[in-house]
Amino acid sequence: MQPMGNDKPIPGRPTSPFSAAPPVSSPFLSSGPVVGSEKTAATPLLTPFSSGTQATGYRMPAPPPTRFNGPFTPTQPPSFHPTQDAATYQQTQAPRFPPPSQPATPLRGPPVANSVGSFQPQPQVPTFRMSPPHPPAVQSPPGSNIPPPHFLGPRPGPQSPFQTLSASQASPHFRASPYIAQQGVIPPPPIGPPLGVGSREQMPFPHIGQQHVGGGPMQGLVEEFQSLSVGSIPGSLDSGIDAKSLPRPLDGDEEPRILESYPLNCHLRFLRLTTHTVPSSQSLLARWHLPLGAVVTPLAEVPEGEEVPIVNFGTAGVVRCRRCRTYINPYVTFTDAGRKWRCNLCSLLNDVPAEYYCALDATGRRLDIDQRPELSKGSVEFVAPTEYMVRPPMPPSYFFLIDVSVAAVQSGLLEVVATTIKSCLDGLPGSPRTQIGFLTFDSTLHFHNLKSSLSQPQMMVVADLDDVFLPLPDDLLVNLSDSRHVVDAFLDSLPSMFQNSANVESASGPALKAAFMVMSQLGGKLLVFQSTLPSLGIGRLRLRGDDPRVYGTDKEHTLRIPEDPFYKQMAAEFTKHQIAVDIFAFSEKYSDIASLGSLAKYTGGQVYHYPAFQAATHHEKLRYELARDLRRETAWEAVMRIRCGKGVRFTTYHGHFMLRSTDLLALPAVDCDKSFAMQLSLEDTLMTTQTVYFQVALLYTSSSGERRIRVHTAAAPVVTDLSEMYRQADTGAIVSVLSRLAVENTLSHKLEDARQLMQLKLVKSLKEYRTLYAVQHRLGGRFIFPDSLKFLPLYILSLCKSAALRGGYADVLLDERCATGYSMMILPITRMLKLLYPGLYRIDEILTKGTDNLDESLKPLALTSQCLDARGLYIYDDGFSFVIWLGRMLSPDIVNSILGVDLSSFPDLSRDNNISRRMMRILKALREKNRSSYQLCRIIRQDEQPREGFLLLNNLIEDQTPGSSTFVDWILQIYRQSQSS
Amino acid sequence: MAWELILWILSFVSVISLIAMTAYQLICLSDLEFDYINPYDSSSRINSVVIPEYIVQGLLCTSFLLTWHWFPFLITAPVTYYHVKLFMNKKHLIDVTEIFRQLNGEKKQRLIKLGFYLSLFVIVIYRLVITAVALLLEEDMNLLDSGTL
Repeated sequence: MQPMGNDKPIPGRPTSPFSAAPPVSSPFLSSGPVVGSEKTAATPLLTPFSSGTQATGYRMPAPPPTRFNGPFTPTQPPSFHPTQDAATYQQTQAPRFPPPSQPATPLRGPPVANSVGSFQPQPQVPTFRMSPPHPPAVQSPPGSNIPPPHFLGPRPGPQSPFQTLSASQASPHFRASPYIAQQGVIPPPPIGPPLGVGSREQMPFPHIGQQHVGGGPMQGLVEEFQSLSVGSIPGSLDSGIDAKSLPRPLDGDEEPRILESYPLNCHLRFLRLTTHTVPSSQSLLARWHLPLGAVVTPLAEVPEGEEVPIVNFGTAGVVRCRRCRTYINPYVTFTDAGRKWRCNLCSLLNDVPAEYYCALDATGRRLDIDQRPELSKGSVEFVAPTEYMVRPPMPPSYFFLIDVSVAAVQSGLLEVVATTIKSCLDGLPGSPRTQIGFLTFDSTLHFHNLKSSLSQPQMMVVADLDDVFLPLPDDLLVNLSDSRHVVDAFLDSLPSMFQNSANVESASGPALKAAFMVMSQLGGKLLVFQSTLPSLGIGRLRLRGDDPRVYGTDKEHTLRIPEDPFYKQMAAEFTKHQIAVDIFAFSEKYSDIASLGSLAKYTGGQVYHYPAFQAATHHEKLRYELARDLRRETAWEAVMRIRCGKGVRFTTYHGHFMLRSTDLLALPAVDCDKSFAMQLSLEDTLMTTQTVYFQVALLYTSSSGERRIRVHTAAAPVVTDLSEMYRQADTGAIVSVLSRLAVENTLSHKLEDARQLMQLKLVKSLKEYRTLYAVQHRLGGRFIFPDSLKFLPLYILSLCKSAALRGGYADVLLDERCATGYSMMILPITRMLKLLYPGLYRIDEILTKGTDNLDESLKPLALTSQCLDARGLYIYDDGFSFVIWLGRMLSPDIVNSILGVDLSSFPDLSRDNNISRRMMRILKALREKNRSSYQLCRIIRQDEQPREGFLLLNNLIEDQTPGSSTFVDWILQIYRQSQSS
Repeated sequence: MAWELILWILSFVSVISLIAMTAYQLICLSDLEFDYINPYDSSSRINSVVIPEYIVQGLLCTSFLLTWHWFPFLITAPVTYYHVKLFMNKKHLIDVTEIFRQLNGEKKQRLIKLGFYLSLFVIVIYRLVITAVALLLEEDMNLLDSGTL
């Protein structure tokens, strides 16, 4: 995933030390100049391979030039050329990535490449930046929007053979981590400082060992992979692995650099493939043991200025392919003087509607391409005409189903909920059409008449739980702006209304039915606030999961699936009527999240779990998260479909949605915090195309009442080479898909089985990778892995140690396990990685001395207790909560300034002194990095048992916890298994 | 002998109805696969015939047992056991939320059942004919014996 400048690719690279110096060439830029020069390409092609001191027996990979064949004659898309693009690319990327796809360059464009002289370092950059002006398509066939040929394109990763050299020499920004030094089999070249000095400081272990660097036999080898020495000294107990040198994702998620080679693709925040390639054959796919698929976040939050452009086709209607219904996108090609366009997914020639016609220029590109975002951007939003509506666009509607049994009153929940909703009323999207309604319940159902002509809301009690009926035909779900004063009055009185209630029962099932009746006409969002286990009427649940004996047996998984089919049926009905359910669960006792959560699972909702909710401590978290849930931009009554080119098909989908047909996801509501994963399968045994296109289309109603289609398009090359698949692998997407698979697996199998499955997949894939290289390289005693997947072993380990999969009965409460499982099914990649490998920061120094640049001072540490210093103050951030750990010998000054005499576990940390203010600044900065949930602070002191173990030590995933291994042991285990045949 | 004929005629009718119900379920499933109907309709249609199918099949099996027809009983018994097991585990109905995930399995299961019912159909027809012919012959014999012919 994260290119570290060390590595791999190009077999047969010349290994002269000079080649490591980066002739910085952007993959796609370099392809530009030489369009149409295939013939000449043949001769120079040999040059790089023959001239270098080729040390290895590397086979040449399947010769890329084959890519030139076929209908997709690669021509330089004009849009690749804006100088600005090129410049930014060069500036930002060049220094960072030593020599991208250097050998590719000669293949493609001999004159340029040769003149470039692979032996000149940096100054080359300008030359290349100038290259765009080369006419993009001199003799280009019309089809200028084809992505660059794959062998040039998808190698965003560093291609230097000498990682160490290139790392230290070529890239000032290179964030070397110590293990780099070690994994290199090649002794570090004498030139250049030994690995960025600055980078050492970022590491928890400044001590870098280079002792493992191998010697002679490997010298001069082209390094394609990363490796770790695991050779132990015979007779010693030492495992032979230097724990400090293991790769750790301390920088969190790093997106692969696909956009550089495919600038017309949608941004990776919307769509990420597990490997940015498609295998050409079934047999190749069978050797790729990791999931092949995509993670889609259709409505991901975009930074200011990068909003998805909105396109209105007006009378032309949305331009789509007649046969496969693909939306027009930057990769389609126009022919016949602009009167026809060829669909990039199914290659059908379509007529261009008269209103949409535009002439082509000499290169076959439309003249108006710059004015049309749908032809120049990977992500666009179309305004859908009436054909895309089955009914008038619905208004945003919110219905609150609030449990008012005694537990909710005592914990102060009602108060917090009422005030939060009230404060959000102005921020609800879609004003003035927004609809709102409330239903409260304990052992009876209380309907609230919010008719705008009333001055006070009226409450109507229905006690018949077996046959629920609505006391009023309408006025239970009302227009917010009309009835605002009634709603305000209701929310003001809500906390006091049930103050003296002593009712412990909760008739959730009947209440859900009633809410369904109220909402079924309109659809919308149903927010359920559940404080106890549903105990009355249909859908009542019983205590289960308190029997430890069931763990480890075949019945174990039944605890994690809904007990009563009522909930699934209800969920199906909700989805059918466009109702999304969000569950807020607050009970300190068992409340069967497994059953309740299935309501959210099939309706595109979300589960919020606040165990043992107390208003005094949790109110900020609930307030923030409820407000975000209500205020964030939401897409209503949506359906999503992902189309892909011939030969591949999406088969399985993972996330919170309901399938309406084999490939159509029904999403009653969807927002930026939801992501969906899907897996691909090959339909044909052999792929004939060179590029496969993916198109995600989300048809939804915006809060403003407009029907829209959001379309994300991406292209990926078809490859015939397994090592290329590894090279383009995206750890984040793989981990995201794998964790969803693991969670789904726990619903039908034992936890142990789910963990083993993950381990098996990891081992298989590393073994396969090993067989690619082990023979030539005599790699005995070395653990080798692709650079792109260097964090995968650690993430799989932390997945196995995550709350959803960890241990057995006693390790995690069943409710918490299920709630985490439900969260993991929807988390976007970045947050998922954060949850799996949380940040740990030492902050006592920042607190006492202050800092100018907070981001730089907060250095993430490895998650092991060896990092915890008794004199320090640490903060642990998993994206959902903070744990602040106070060392035993921490200076009392700090403790007093931030804590005072407050001994509670959720103390108020804001005090009027410098240290406390700095503390608040740090917390604020960390919270801003993840705005999807509010991280509540818990304080623990060193040796405070059992809380320390429960809150922090068990979560330090590199350490040994009962029933699981340390990181080093894990690596050794994986190494041994991947080595054994 | 007449009751034997009645038994086989009844089994003939019930096997035909079993085949019809299974085929109906299969059609619903493949319609769903090709997106002709939505999962809600599909699953409610399928679920509406699941219990009748189980009842008919169970009655058929018990009637074979009660009439001491060991061979057809032993053939139908595994299916009955399978049905009872599904019913006890509450897995006999199609789950509309998971229908697409289970589609292939459910189809396969019903195809196998259909094949099984078809072979049962052959057996039943054979026995029906045999019984009918035997009955006719017997009648002929009786007629001969009584000297009517």
